[in-house]
Amino acid sequence: MNSNPSTPMNAHAPSSSSGGAGSPDSNTPRRNSKRPKYSRFTQQELPACKPILTPKWVISAFMLVTIVFIPIGLTTLFASRDVVEIIDRYDNACVPGSKSQKVQHIQSATSNKTCIRSLTVRKRMKQPIYVYYQLDNFYQNHRRYVKSRSDQQLRNRGDENDTSTCKPENEANGMTIVPCGLVAWSLFNDTYSLSTSNSQLTINKRHISWKSDRDEKFGSEVYPKNFQNGGLIGGGRLNESIPLNEQEDLIVWMRTAALPTFRKLYGKIEVDIEAGETINVVVENRYNTYSFSGKKKLVLSTTSWLGGKNNFIGIAYLAVGGLCFLLATTFTIIYLVKPRHLGDPTYLSWNRNPGGH
Amino acid sequence: MASDHSSSTGELNSDEFKSVDLQLQSSSSHRSISSNTWRASSIKEVGVIELGSKGGVRYGSRKGGSGSMSMSRKEIRDEDSRLVYVNDSVKTNESFEFAGNSVRTSKYSVLTFLPRNLFEQFHRVAYVYFLIIAILNQLPQLAVFGRFASLLPLSLVLLVTAVKDGYEDWRRHRSDQIENNRLACVLVNNVFEQKKWKDIQVGEIIKFSANETIPCDVVLLSTSDPTGVAYIQTINLDGESNLKTRYAKQETLGTREVENIRGVIKCEKPNRNIYGFLGTMEVDQKQVSLGPSNIVLRGCVLKNTSWAVGVVVYTGMETKVMLNNSGAQSKRSHLEARMNKEIILLSFFLAALCSVVSICAGVWLRQHRDELDIMPFYRRKDYSGEDEDNYKYYGWGLEIFFTFLMSIIVFQIMIPIALYISMELVRLGQAYFMIRDDRMYDESTDSRFQCRALNVNEDLGQIKYVFSDKTGTLTENKMEFQYASIFGIDYNGEKTEFYGEEGGYYAQVDGLILRPKMKVHVDMELLRLLKTGNDTNKHIYDFFLALASCNTIVPILVDTSNPDEKLIDYQGESPDEQALVYAAAAYGFMLIERTSGHIVVDILGDRQRFNVLGMHEFDSDRKRMSVILGCSDSTVKVFVKGADTTMFNVIDKSKNTDIVTATESHLHAYSSVGLRTLVMGMKGLSSHEFEQWRSSYEAATNSLMGRARLLRKVAINLETNLSILGASGIEDKLQEGVPEAIESLRMANIKVWVLTGDKQETAISIGYSSKLLTSKMTQIIINNNSTESCRRSLEEALIISRKAITSGENASLLALIIDGTSLVYILDSELEEQLFELASKCAVVLCCRVAPLQKAGIVMLIKKRTDDLTLAIGDGANDVSMIQKADVGIGISGQEGRQAVMASDFAMAQFRFLVPLLLVHGHWNYRRMGYMILYNFYRNAVFVLVLFWYVLYTAFTLSTAINEWSSVLYSVIYTSVPTIVVGILDKDLSRTSLLKYPQLYGSGQKQESYNSTLFWLTIADTLWQSIVGFFIPLLAYWKTDIDGPSIGDLWTLAVVFLVNLHLAMDVITWTWIIHASIWGSIVATIICVIIIDVIPILPGYWAIFHLAGDGLFWVCLIGIIVASLIPRLVLKTLVQHYRPSDIQIAGEAEKFGDLMESRSAEIEMNQPHR
Repeated sequence: MNSNPSTPMNAHAPSSSSGGAGSPDSNTPRRNSKRPKYSRFTQQELPACKPILTPKWVISAFMLVTIVFIPIGLTTLFASRDVVEIIDRYDNACVPGSKSQKVQHIQSATSNKTCIRSLTVRKRMKQPIYVYYQLDNFYQNHRRYVKSRSDQQLRNRGDENDTSTCKPENEANGMTIVPCGLVAWSLFNDTYSLSTSNSQLTINKRHISWKSDRDEKFGSEVYPKNFQNGGLIGGGRLNESIPLNEQEDLIVWMRTAALPTFRKLYGKIEVDIEAGETINVVVENRYNTYSFSGKKKLVLSTTSWLGGKNNFIGIAYLAVGGLCFLLATTFTIIYLVKPRHLGDPTYLSWNRNPGGH
Repeated sequence: MASDHSSSTGELNSDEFKSVDLQLQSSSSHRSISSNTWRASSIKEVGVIELGSKGGVRYGSRKGGSGSMSMSRKEIRDEDSRLVYVNDSVKTNESFEFAGNSVRTSKYSVLTFLPRNLFEQFHRVAYVYFLIIAILNQLPQLAVFGRFASLLPLSLVLLVTAVKDGYEDWRRHRSDQIENNRLACVLVNNVFEQKKWKDIQVGEIIKFSANETIPCDVVLLSTSDPTGVAYIQTINLDGESNLKTRYAKQETLGTREVENIRGVIKCEKPNRNIYGFLGTMEVDQKQVSLGPSNIVLRGCVLKNTSWAVGVVVYTGMETKVMLNNSGAQSKRSHLEARMNKEIILLSFFLAALCSVVSICAGVWLRQHRDELDIMPFYRRKDYSGEDEDNYKYYGWGLEIFFTFLMSIIVFQIMIPIALYISMELVRLGQAYFMIRDDRMYDESTDSRFQCRALNVNEDLGQIKYVFSDKTGTLTENKMEFQYASIFGIDYNGEKTEFYGEEGGYYAQVDGLILRPKMKVHVDMELLRLLKTGNDTNKHIYDFFLALASCNTIVPILVDTSNPDEKLIDYQGESPDEQALVYAAAAYGFMLIERTSGHIVVDILGDRQRFNVLGMHEFDSDRKRMSVILGCSDSTVKVFVKGADTTMFNVIDKSKNTDIVTATESHLHAYSSVGLRTLVMGMKGLSSHEFEQWRSSYEAATNSLMGRARLLRKVAINLETNLSILGASGIEDKLQEGVPEAIESLRMANIKVWVLTGDKQETAISIGYSSKLLTSKMTQIIINNNSTESCRRSLEEALIISRKAITSGENASLLALIIDGTSLVYILDSELEEQLFELASKCAVVLCCRVAPLQKAGIVMLIKKRTDDLTLAIGDGANDVSMIQKADVGIGISGQEGRQAVMASDFAMAQFRFLVPLLLVHGHWNYRRMGYMILYNFYRNAVFVLVLFWYVLYTAFTLSTAINEWSSVLYSVIYTSVPTIVVGILDKDLSRTSLLKYPQLYGSGQKQESYNSTLFWLTIADTLWQSIVGFFIPLLAYWKTDIDGPSIGDLWTLAVVFLVNLHLAMDVITWTWIIHASIWGSIVATIICVIIIDVIPILPGYWAIFHLAGDGLFWVCLIGIIVASLIPRLVLKTLVQHYRPSDIQIAGEAEKFGDLMESRSAEIEMNQPHR
């Protein structure tokens, strides 16, 4: 309530905004007017641009998309066509028999796991040729799996015991595992050696991982410890005298794949391979994908500006570009056949049928 | 007008008049509206005053006395009372510790702030949902997000709200402190001492002088006036600026020293009824009853009385003003209610998504149950310990259950809880602009538009019915005397700007020049006649004497800049009476002084003193008042003034038949031009008659039982065989711009109903002058006295209306005029349905002579039967009930009290502001809010769906490629600001267009911005966009070495770009603020993503940089945005081409206006007149 004693008694009280008792602004006499200060902002009259979907605008937008998308689509298609890719699934071929036989074979420590594959090069492959292994039906993005790692431990020697997130692979025989967790534990350990008819193909395994990972994520002071010593061997072993930031296979593996079908870089071949050549591959087939029906493939691929061979993007771009062209022409026809005068008040509903509303 | 100025006998309790009347009235009101819930008491009092003909209904505070006398006789029950020992605060507070006088409007103290504020915040369902999700996430089995990330959104919201609440409370603390430390004069040990307000206690005696604010509720003991009158101004209490009289009881008047008064006051427990008070005081073994006229309330200001002394009865928070200090009750907007239904739908979607995930997860687990132990990415067994335990595996059933709960956590933003918070912010912003609109600012009262409630902003854009009060809302409630019919002669002279000589009449008293404060146009002929003496002069003399004396006006002298000149300000509760007294003054009959015993009137320069021998106040049965004057020549005259209906019954028609008929025809003429009419009569009293009257009058005033009834009887006996003096016509001026505003509202297809207490003729004439009624309309008048006749008239009216509708396209418009008596029979009976049918066919509905609760009943008539939104606008306490019942209530902060404003959702100064409010702001608010809700549904659902699709590729395990921080920040930083900014600022059309074509308002009435079609279209669009957004990267990166965080970043950026560009596509008015918010959000998102990716301990370290170096990323991003938005653009273009909405066309016309000018001018000329 206003309790200003000097209020002239006949004044029309400037009604205080809230009427709340003792609200502070009603305690002080108001001499100045309450008229809102004029500004374009408070009157909602800021200068503004009001784009309207005029036929011209619509058609040119669609045309623009057409013009941009079709060339991109074509270039990506061509780029993808130029990529030479050799894929060889070897998991079944290397281990014959039923599922249980395969599992038994792969789990046995003594069985001979060497397997020879030969690949034909249909088209000339220019260096660098990337060697990938591809796993299908391997959920590296599984909740239990992605979380089972300790980035602190990988990075910093002092955080060696920071393994709470690594369960169920945090310790073995009562000692901490470095690197801990399911991700590291399941390290892929098939190896390939490639040769053409006349020479051995060297696979360069340096710098197959991200530089940022080597520099920051994996410590140069951190050495593997107590790794793969538990009751169940998950995959590859690590040389305990090499620091983690130089264990590039591990670094690549630890960058968990987004999708259940994925490739990981194994190495690079830095020579060209001519068409018609046959590549002999000696696979040390150690990694167990048999127990969960995963597939293992060896992939040799050249690369383009878009990466590997993938027609999807090109087709999608062509489709969108084509659709937009179609839409642009359709709208042109619509606007020509049945034009509408923009902003014509006769179209207002109450002008069209004056009787009712 | 209701004049209850008490006569010289101070103990006469005028309120008793009303008591009988009250019961009668309120019972009928109870019938008319069943749910008489809110503030039953105050509505009841309002119901008392049904003096329609005299219109300017002032619910003076004393009037509210709800029969205090009769009630106090019944004894207040002990448990419902408080005992106050006068001047003995110790004893008073002995048994009960009454509250001190310090007030606390603040909610929190330093200690209680945290728990209380949190407690209050969690009253909102939204926050509870947040909390439950956050708690679920803390369970180790369910921890989807990190502990901190999951708590961030909740804590952010809590923090912001707490800071806001804290700041507001700090301001309240400060103002409380100022208030509590003010000083007052209190009797301590028989000496008056200055004491701080907060130290005043119940039972103390307190003294205040003129112009002081009263610190607590006080029962008057004595005042500087020998008769115990004190004048107070209640402007802070109810906004009424006129003076009200309060009385000290005779028993306590200055016969003794104040400090010796001892007594006990027994009164009601504190309540919030500012117009009611009852109690008894025991002084000298005498029981004295106390009523509302004996108490002055905290916040009032003493005026015109040099001092007053009273005893404190209520203090601090228990004072009536503090008890009344509650905010407006909350209403829920229509749009929000609809939205809540859609949100229930969304929760079903959420449940469906979660079920799909959990069922699939169950199936997957079952299929792979033999492989789980050694599967590298599952590995159920934990071999690290001695025993081979299952690690985090709780059995098949529980796993499914946990998956379900986890998916709720992951998909939580499917239910757009943040939307509620955004909506509050948007409404706040909209209110900011409404308040600051200088076209809703009123110069004359210096008042802005006020938003009192924040939750019905968008309802303003969908109003179909406007229920308007008349007096003070359509009209100014500033009465001006226009015409006089004196003794059968109509002095309606040409309206001149003539104010009499030298700018109005003035009187000279003791060398002072006195002028009336308000000037009145005078009739030159009448003025001339007054100056020349002849036979008619006698009647004119009596007529003006009646005007000057027969009222309850108090003249107050106001200083002017000239020390020799003073203005006379006539203060009174009735604007009609004020107008009459000002008119009398202009003609030379200037009321100079009024005390309870006499009046002084300056008659054409001659000061005359009249003794007021008695006064019969106005009551709504008699509808007249009378005053008994003892003239200087010791004759006694009775002057009576009242409504024509009752006055003609008591006028002796045999005396001047032709004059009576002439006056009647003048009256008819006056009311047909919309004037409010009053009839004056008089008679002389012989000494015998006078003695007879005096004895019965005294007997009546001194009687203890049924005083009111006796007094009324005395009055009725006295007021007979009057000779007619004449009649007056007072103009109740229409407010500025009302006819234009009504025309605009009508064009906007809003039905305007006028509900007034005035009589039928006045209502109809105001209807004409405000262009509500036109001569082309067919009027249906329902004016009945029984249920049966009401039924008949309704049936007939329905037949007429059906005929009119079927008679062709240009059906003559119908106007329904119905009066309050008929409504009594119709409302809440089976006839209601018929009335509704009839009313919905009529273009105009005028309800006259309606009681306040009937107003609410009429609003309910519409609300119960349709989904259409209703708006009630009024200015007086009698409008409170309808303002509260309607979907939107608007109070006019004008002449009458603040009651209407206090109960309203919005308050403004002029009726015409309704046009910009509804047509401009309402329209904008509705469009903005409607769009914002749909957009928020879309925005959250598209993100949830992208998460959902990914879950299908993770063996249904609810891992997210999108970083958990991005998930959390998505609705907090990435996309929140633009939607709020657009919700506040985007304008579909300019103010000019909206006002030029009021029909555009129809878009809100037809729910064009928010309906189920739009909802489902939005959902379909969401589905498409999420599919494009998810599957383009999926297919592009299938069989590549892409890692989770990288593709997650792609999805994050794609979705954020997408939803922001989607919004950009729908923005109509691009101001720099909108530009800044949309592009700013995108930049902010990029920055956030980068920041997240430079933290080495997160798995996504450096991902964004690798990604951005890859051409495929950019190709995907552009492809997603274009492909997602194509369907929307195509649909939009097609709709705009084939079915352009009015908004669309008007928008184009705005842009290409110059080209269209000539054409549209043509169109407008041809436009059919509606």
